[in-house]
Amino acid sequence: MLTSIAQKEFISTLRDRRFVGLSLLVLGLLLAATLVGRRGYAALQQERAAAQHTVNEQFAHQPGRHPHRVAHYGSFAFRPKSGLSFLDVGIDSFTGAAVYLEAHQQNSVNFSPAQQAGSLIRFGELTVAFVLQALVPLLIIFLCFSAFTEERETGTLRLLLSQGATMRQIAWGKIRGYSQAVALVVGPALGLAAALLFAAGSPARGLDLGLRLGLFGLGYAAYFFVVIVGAVVVSARQQHARSALVLLLGCWMLGCVILPKITANLGAHFYPATTKAQLDAEVHAETQRGIDGHNPHDAHVAAITAALLRKYHVASEKELPVSVNGIVMAEGEAYSSRVYQAHFAALNRTYARQNALADWAGWLNPYQAIRPLSMGLVGSDFAHYVHFQQAAEAYRYQLVQRLNGLQTRMGYGDKERRLGAATWQNIAPFAYQAPPVGWALPALLGPALALLAWVIGLSWLGLKLVERTPL
Amino acid sequence: MSQFSILLHYEWRHFRAARGLVLLTSLLLVVGLYGIYYGTTEVARQRRHLAELPALTRHSEAELRRKFAGPADAGEIGYYHYTFARHQPSPWASLALGQRDVNPYYLKLRLLGLQGQLYASENVNPTKVLSGNFDLAFVLVYLFPLLIIALCFNMLSHERELGILPLLLAQPLRPGVLVAAKLTFRGGLVLGLALGLSAVGLAWAGVPLDGRVALWLALVGLYCLFWLGVALVVAAWQRSSAVNAVALLGAWLLLLVLVPSLLQVCVAAAHPVPQGLALTMQQREAIHGGWDRPKTATMTRFFARYPQYRDTATIRERFAWRWYYAFQYLGDQSVAPLAAAYTQGQQQRHALVAHLGWLSPALSAQTSLNALAGTDLPAHLAFQRSATRYHDALRAFYYPFLFKKIPFTHADYARLPTHAFASPADLGTAARGLWQLLGGVGAVYLLGWALLRGRAVAPR
Repeated sequence: MLTSIAQKEFISTLRDRRFVGLSLLVLGLLLAATLVGRRGYAALQQERAAAQHTVNEQFAHQPGRHPHRVAHYGSFAFRPKSGLSFLDVGIDSFTGAAVYLEAHQQNSVNFSPAQQAGSLIRFGELTVAFVLQALVPLLIIFLCFSAFTEERETGTLRLLLSQGATMRQIAWGKIRGYSQAVALVVGPALGLAAALLFAAGSPARGLDLGLRLGLFGLGYAAYFFVVIVGAVVVSARQQHARSALVLLLGCWMLGCVILPKITANLGAHFYPATTKAQLDAEVHAETQRGIDGHNPHDAHVAAITAALLRKYHVASEKELPVSVNGIVMAEGEAYSSRVYQAHFAALNRTYARQNALADWAGWLNPYQAIRPLSMGLVGSDFAHYVHFQQAAEAYRYQLVQRLNGLQTRMGYGDKERRLGAATWQNIAPFAYQAPPVGWALPALLGPALALLAWVIGLSWLGLKLVERTPL
Repeated sequence: MSQFSILLHYEWRHFRAARGLVLLTSLLLVVGLYGIYYGTTEVARQRRHLAELPALTRHSEAELRRKFAGPADAGEIGYYHYTFARHQPSPWASLALGQRDVNPYYLKLRLLGLQGQLYASENVNPTKVLSGNFDLAFVLVYLFPLLIIALCFNMLSHERELGILPLLLAQPLRPGVLVAAKLTFRGGLVLGLALGLSAVGLAWAGVPLDGRVALWLALVGLYCLFWLGVALVVAAWQRSSAVNAVALLGAWLLLLVLVPSLLQVCVAAAHPVPQGLALTMQQREAIHGGWDRPKTATMTRFFARYPQYRDTATIRERFAWRWYYAFQYLGDQSVAPLAAAYTQGQQQRHALVAHLGWLSPALSAQTSLNALAGTDLPAHLAFQRSATRYHDALRAFYYPFLFKKIPFTHADYARLPTHAFASPADLGTAARGLWQLLGGVGAVYLLGWALLRGRAVAPR
């Protein structure tokens, strides 16, 4: 019975001209979004890779310089786009692409695409994720709002029930039928995405990307299932198709447009973050208490020099085998880095608090559960961004400290001398490795559980409601 | 009582009885008030942060006074002293925050090369800005069409489906009057709400009462009229309520989501902006190359631009501040064409979007409201130009100290130039948006009227 109901729904859906038109539209958008996304991804990726290459070449081919000059010359870290980000750009349009790595300070990641666009970008971007998260649910709503109301209005529901089918069976049959129809729309686009990915991708990252894509598909399957069940339940509980449609559309607006914005705004309202100017001033005030590598009159410098003289059993700085300046620079860098790290960590904690409200809203709103899940799996969420920031900082720190080490070994009077051009070629350039899926998963447990709770809760409670619906 | 007012009266009673609609309308009212509250607190927060900045500068000055107790080398002061170029929001910004959360609203400036400082970004929570701002403009542009759809999707079809329409049309009543009354009632409700909310917002934000108020109200009114016109077209098309709802929501999706996002792809393809990345990279090369170039070569190039300092002493020492700042300045000059191309590319993109506003009234409404509030890209670019002038003023202040070797005394801190910049309103863009909206309104009402004339209202 269940199978034949499912089959009937599937076939009649395919015969419905309106549905076919809408699905072709959605499928067309999905395919277009995949191709456009892929193109944009390739362009950005190439641009950033070329920039990184140029910067690395520039670094390696410096003339003979003093190491501390090189530390100020520094380098850049360009954030590579994650392999799957053409499916979901996530926050990437609002985060910068490049960070300048130099001695003594940690710079902001600048040049986000949003700064280069006008307010047009605030209308949202046409990405696969957007189509899947917002438009496919609309398609489902149009598909399912009359699932029960039509049967009731035409009197076929009574006939079905008199055949011995229960309301629960009918509901499950419809859910299965509609799920097949939706899969028919979404499947090809995901297939294309997979084909594009594995046609171009390197085999080394293949497994990781495949796993991410698989979970991505699974997440959306759960999301669509929730929407289908919800729509069928509403259709069963409402007397008229019209009221079912209005109610469902109202839920869509609330879930996909209003709630995400309101929760994000409230979060930022409750936990204000410090401004860059304030943060810089605080960092400056704290580093003042530490050691200033550029100030020879710093009290700490005298203490360090005295300790070095004792250690090497010599009477004056001139006889030391190491450069006091280099050691002082290294100490100063270690101190200021710690201060910066503490402040950035505090800032990121504030952001996490701001976002917590929106994350919790995932338990109330499936859209807000799939969104972080999708971004996280694709590698375009805040956690992946922070991962890059930290990798860039780790590189910056080791680069500067290595240069400080070179300076130290130059011995007394280093400021008058330079190191040969060959020195810089031995320093490894910045190479960013995006974290594997296993790293991303623990943070995604919350939204995944919320989605799962929706799947189970709605299947159980919703179907119970359907069962109890009076004819 | 005339027929029309009787109809209006019954529409009112009908509306009052529909609990869902009353709830929805009140919800929108509450949401609109929240939007105003959010926008004003957000702008107040930015104002507070801007007001705190001079204290940071004073604090750093106090530190420098302690560090350099006597007269100091101006080069040292220029290196450590920082000040801020501040972008003060106009009171209008509370109603349409635009890009003020994405673009930095202040810049920290030192005497060093400007191009390395001009594109610094402010701390922003990317997840939050991705979700966007819940300001009044959002409520008006995004949510009001939805209210109109909810109010109008079954304007005629509801009565037809209930079988009341034949009864109504059996009366001595022209169908046109019926449609006009229904539309007038809904229009009055929506316009009253939209303009009322705008009035509250304008008062709350404390905007000056000038022509911009009329422009804002006209933009909002026309935008609502446009959507009422779309509802009229759909009603005149005479399909079932469900089809109407689908059609109207399709129009909403098309105009608010699909057209803008497709346009974005096209605009990016039409005007590929030369990336800022190349700019910063080249500026770094130019500035750091300055250390390795012979000092006389650097100074000759500098004196070509500043001949008034040509007669100053030749630099023989290993390091001199005036040489340092000369190559900082030359670094900026060497990337000037790139910087101009970058800004111009952004400007062109924005202009193209403003021109193509007729593709979507939502787009032209949003662009116009942002332009009116001075929160869009042109305002930010104007701020960057103003910050550049400020940096020029700082250089002009320091150069005599550096080249004529005048010691920098404690009294000189007070003589440092300061900066003030308030968002300008982009009235040209806003006015263009008004014409685009007017065109859109004309088109939909003409179409609705033609449809109604062409096909009589079918009772069944």
